[in-house]
Amino acid sequence: MAADPITVEVLRSALPAIADEMSHVLKRTSYNMMIYEVGDYSCAILDKEGNLLAQNGGGVSHFLADMGVVIRDGVERIKKFVPGDVILMNHQRVCGQHLNNMCVYTPFFWKGELFGFTIIRAHWIDVGGYSTGFGAGSSASDPWLEGLQFNQLKIYEAGKPNETVLAMISDNIRYPESSMGDLDAQITACNLGLKRMEELFSKYGEATVEECIQRIFSESEALCRQVIAEFQDGTYEFETEFDDSASATDGPIRIHAKVIVEGSDMTIDLSGCSKQRNSGINGRTLAAPYIAYKALTSPIDPVNEGSFKALKVILPEGSFMMAQFPAPMAGWSTALPSVIDAILAAMAPARKSMTPAAHKGAMGDNLTFFGVDNNGKRFVVQSTEGGGWGGRPTEDGPSASCTICQGDVRNGPIESLEQRFPIVVEQRGLRTDSAGAGQFRGGLGLDVKVRNLVAGRWNITQTGRHRVPPWGLWGGKTGGKPDRLVQKNGENDWKSVNANWYQVPTESRVIIRSAGGGGWGDPLDREPERVLDDIRDGMVSVDAARSEYGIVTKSTGKTGLDAIQIDADATKAARQELRAQRG
Amino acid sequence: MGAHVALDIGGTFTDLVYFNDETGEMRHAKSSTTPEEFTLGIQNCLDKANIDLGACETFVHGATIAINTLIEQSGAKTVLVTTKGARDAYLIGRGNRPEAYNVFFKRATPLVRRGMIIEADERMGAQGQSILPLSEAEIANVCKQVAALEPESIAVCFLHSYIDPTHEQMMGQALRKAFPNAYVSLSYEILRQYREYERTSTTIVNSYIGPRVSTYLKRLEQRLEAKKFPGTLLIMQSNGGVTSVGVAGRAPVGLMESGPVGGINASAEIGLRLGFPQVIAFDMGGTTAKASVIRDGKPSTAEGYYVGGYAEGHPVMSPVIDVVEVGAGGGSIGWIDSVGAMKVGPKSAGASPGPVCYRAGGTEPTITDANLTLGRINGANFLGGDMSLDKEASRAALKGKLADKLGLSVEEAALGMLKIAIAHMTLAVRGVSIERGYDPRDFVMVASGGNGGLHAPLIARELSIPRVILPVLPAHFSAVGMLMTDIRHDYVQTHARSMAEADFEAIRSICDMFLKDGKELLASESVAPAQQQVNLSVDIRYVGQEFYLNTPISYEDITKADRDGIRRRFDALHLRHYGQNAEHRPVEIVNIRANAIGERAKMEFHPPAVGTTATPSTTRDVFLTDATKPTRCAIYQRDALAPGAIVKGPAIIEESATTALLLEGDEATVAPTGEIIITIGGN
Repeated sequence: MAADPITVEVLRSALPAIADEMSHVLKRTSYNMMIYEVGDYSCAILDKEGNLLAQNGGGVSHFLADMGVVIRDGVERIKKFVPGDVILMNHQRVCGQHLNNMCVYTPFFWKGELFGFTIIRAHWIDVGGYSTGFGAGSSASDPWLEGLQFNQLKIYEAGKPNETVLAMISDNIRYPESSMGDLDAQITACNLGLKRMEELFSKYGEATVEECIQRIFSESEALCRQVIAEFQDGTYEFETEFDDSASATDGPIRIHAKVIVEGSDMTIDLSGCSKQRNSGINGRTLAAPYIAYKALTSPIDPVNEGSFKALKVILPEGSFMMAQFPAPMAGWSTALPSVIDAILAAMAPARKSMTPAAHKGAMGDNLTFFGVDNNGKRFVVQSTEGGGWGGRPTEDGPSASCTICQGDVRNGPIESLEQRFPIVVEQRGLRTDSAGAGQFRGGLGLDVKVRNLVAGRWNITQTGRHRVPPWGLWGGKTGGKPDRLVQKNGENDWKSVNANWYQVPTESRVIIRSAGGGGWGDPLDREPERVLDDIRDGMVSVDAARSEYGIVTKSTGKTGLDAIQIDADATKAARQELRAQRG
Repeated sequence: MGAHVALDIGGTFTDLVYFNDETGEMRHAKSSTTPEEFTLGIQNCLDKANIDLGACETFVHGATIAINTLIEQSGAKTVLVTTKGARDAYLIGRGNRPEAYNVFFKRATPLVRRGMIIEADERMGAQGQSILPLSEAEIANVCKQVAALEPESIAVCFLHSYIDPTHEQMMGQALRKAFPNAYVSLSYEILRQYREYERTSTTIVNSYIGPRVSTYLKRLEQRLEAKKFPGTLLIMQSNGGVTSVGVAGRAPVGLMESGPVGGINASAEIGLRLGFPQVIAFDMGGTTAKASVIRDGKPSTAEGYYVGGYAEGHPVMSPVIDVVEVGAGGGSIGWIDSVGAMKVGPKSAGASPGPVCYRAGGTEPTITDANLTLGRINGANFLGGDMSLDKEASRAALKGKLADKLGLSVEEAALGMLKIAIAHMTLAVRGVSIERGYDPRDFVMVASGGNGGLHAPLIARELSIPRVILPVLPAHFSAVGMLMTDIRHDYVQTHARSMAEADFEAIRSICDMFLKDGKELLASESVAPAQQQVNLSVDIRYVGQEFYLNTPISYEDITKADRDGIRRRFDALHLRHYGQNAEHRPVEIVNIRANAIGERAKMEFHPPAVGTTATPSTTRDVFLTDATKPTRCAIYQRDALAPGAIVKGPAIIEESATTALLLEGDEATVAPTGEIIITIGGN
């Protein structure tokens, strides 16, 4: 059998199906919501050179094609693998993410020869240090404070567990019943991947599989090139700032995206971005340019090594996104959604009809509250909350959605959170007037208000779009600002707070406020009926309709949605006046 | 005892099957579905089969009205009443974006806009305690706000109502009184399960489609009355059972996915009769193929699904037969993408224009064109000779659109298309078997639909499934299944407790409630006590997990508080499904479930004995596995194969609406009840 077009097509579905099956098993047998609800993991198959053969669909997008460095480093350091080995790795020297993201991988042998690996990276709920929950974020000023570090350790050798190492891990993490269960789930799913690879190799033979893989890579590359070739050649740039909430001294980081299109080649040059610094905002990752390129070229297709062959990334050593160990990296992903937005915004002139305005732009609109409940049990509440997406060339942006780096990440149902944890979610609501105005407005941000029923600690660091909220495009306005507000028990006022491990007494309240999306196009060009609909739905206030859109309403004396109507004359005058003010 | 009619409305055809369980007489008819006035298609079928409804005992109906009302967005003007602070739970959903890299990703358009959502100032806690009581004044206030919106339909979903419905019931009572003409659904009456977004969506879908579906059912009832039908009208549900019109009208959300259910039930029943309780039901029609697993004679159900797909669909958490579907059918198109890779489907030529060989304007080569080109189907005798196929046109399309571009022969391209389609379908069948811990070698495949018999034996070979069964009336299989379907009602109650601390008295009272409700409902549907059966189960997981496994229990397990026995069963299930378990870990109960079954008499087949020797009607050149050289195959007519007849592959068995393909090594025998059982070679 050879790599005829038919076998190529069969393997094109068969390889991702293996990664998807690994994902299915992991998700259903895991013990922490970061895996089963947030999908903060990825399952992949790589060859021994670190080429990506397949990765699961769904799951968190910022793990896009990022396992190659782990495998290449492992092969170089470990040198000899035998069947039954299991390797544990989270070291920032190579991984460049927060330490919670734990890679587990197993070697795949065919006829006695090492061919490649199945690997799963998954977010553990705790790895010691400050890492509890979503990760240490701004809390840890170096990796040792952040948590345990594993540097390419064989935790199973030839099928035999290293009980000493496993006991040491178990004793030094806060929720061993959760994380050791997740480790088992990762190993089971990796082993399942090995079994499926064996079946595939025995059916098609190694030579055919390898030949088909090369064909699949080159076809993926060619598909991307076709898309890029349609863009006007040129150099495109965009710059924005992003707050570094973890740093008291360094001010905001600069995000400068430069994109060069030449024929079917694209270069994403991020050398104009800030250097690494002493706060946790650093990382060591190509996720931002990769996700942007994927969104530009082939958003729906499965990913493999060929998907990025036609992309050149310039990201110099020492950039905040290519930081060097031991820079703190606990907040590694915080800024990535805004970097991606900046790359897309740079390309907007070449793709006006295909580029939305900026979305909420920051990771970290999370609920994280932890402590000890009334039964003496340690708990950590976690939920990822959405924000507004940018207005689009033909429609409004979606409200309350997770970032482009997250994907199939689901918030925690109120009923589920309250069943498990000592909190009451008093509100999870769309915030009126939080959408950036535009011909097509942004999506709305959220206010999530939670009352804690026991004393405990909140992680309520401000997100990076607190000072510079998501931008509009083509005359659209910026989206509403995110915030973190606290009302401690006994106090009347709400106070804006920027802190992790923030201690509150019982019966305090916290609001997690996420940003709204930027608007697309001039708000004065928005069809009045759309503004009226927004007023009727309570998405835009009567005042904002007038000041932002120049829409004036009057009451009709009717009830229900028809209680207000547009005042056509007053609207005409108001729009004229707003246009005149612009000069 | 008497005559029974099943009438199944599908997207393209309306099918009727009639069966008299005293005389054994069987009739069937097919006519085009008439979307603008369904009852017309129904009448056409009744006329064609010459049915006297006045002499019939049951009329089982499978309708598409529920799903169509949602898909066409032609439902009622609906108001949602919800807990203060949770107004936006329905609009926010879970905040996820399954198409991560698609910056234009959009969730399902809500069926209720924000201005039509009213908050009630009340609150239940997660333990069922009232945190903020619902006052009479607040009820009046809500009713006033609702009145201003002039709804046709109202949905009520309060936080934690699954554990204590008091507030929801109070609100519902007031609304039903204040709006006697509106359709009112309370989440508690539809689904007693936690997760507010999914429960709200399910309740809204029910309210949204409720008025139209219940009107339809009333009209159908009247129509049958006018025809002097004296018997029972039963409606197919998504959960694998039928129900009375009364229940269907109150909870139409349970009818949404009834389409594939009949065929799956028939597969289960036929498997049991032939001594094969482990079945993979496989249906392949014009645009899609569907697979579903049946264990110990019982189809598997999922607790819910997403109408319109996971990424962009509306969640409906009402039990549904678990089906995996792929876009591979007779009309699936073979094409070459912009970089020269060969693809099959999911684009389909559908029923119109259909495959190139239909001479109806199709220009793209389809799976049916490939089968015709390879000699696997008989162009001269398609649909029993009602339609003659243009083989030359198929060849030309395969040549021009695929073979020449890829440097293949026409036969290589045709075989390649089938190989790719088989690979896709094999992944779907794997999805319901191997990936759920079931070994396909323990199963038989029951193949239905116009294309089942041609492709199932090839998929079976890939997965080492030892046998494929071709049922009687494979093209009316869904309607056949409707005459083999029991009445079924499902119940769920969230009851989240660790197993160690579980209060089995409380669990028993939940089970008692299910038993009472289920039996009363069945009795109201004229099911005799001897035919009633209530099955209990609990959803269990290891503490810390989110996903649970539904674990069957007996009433005795509960009265004896058999914690260890129940958890051992769960451990075993976990091992089967995921290849691992954790016997040392604590487990917890999440939901208690029950299904109440009302057994019904089932259609049987009595084929005439016409002699047991199989004689081919002709021979034909067919390309099997080698694209360079055809094999001379014996062609048999199914009508002429009597019980006991044996056919050895390579061979082809033709009947009016479908064809079966036997490769070298396959062997078919005809069962006493008429089914063809193919033993797959090469395994």
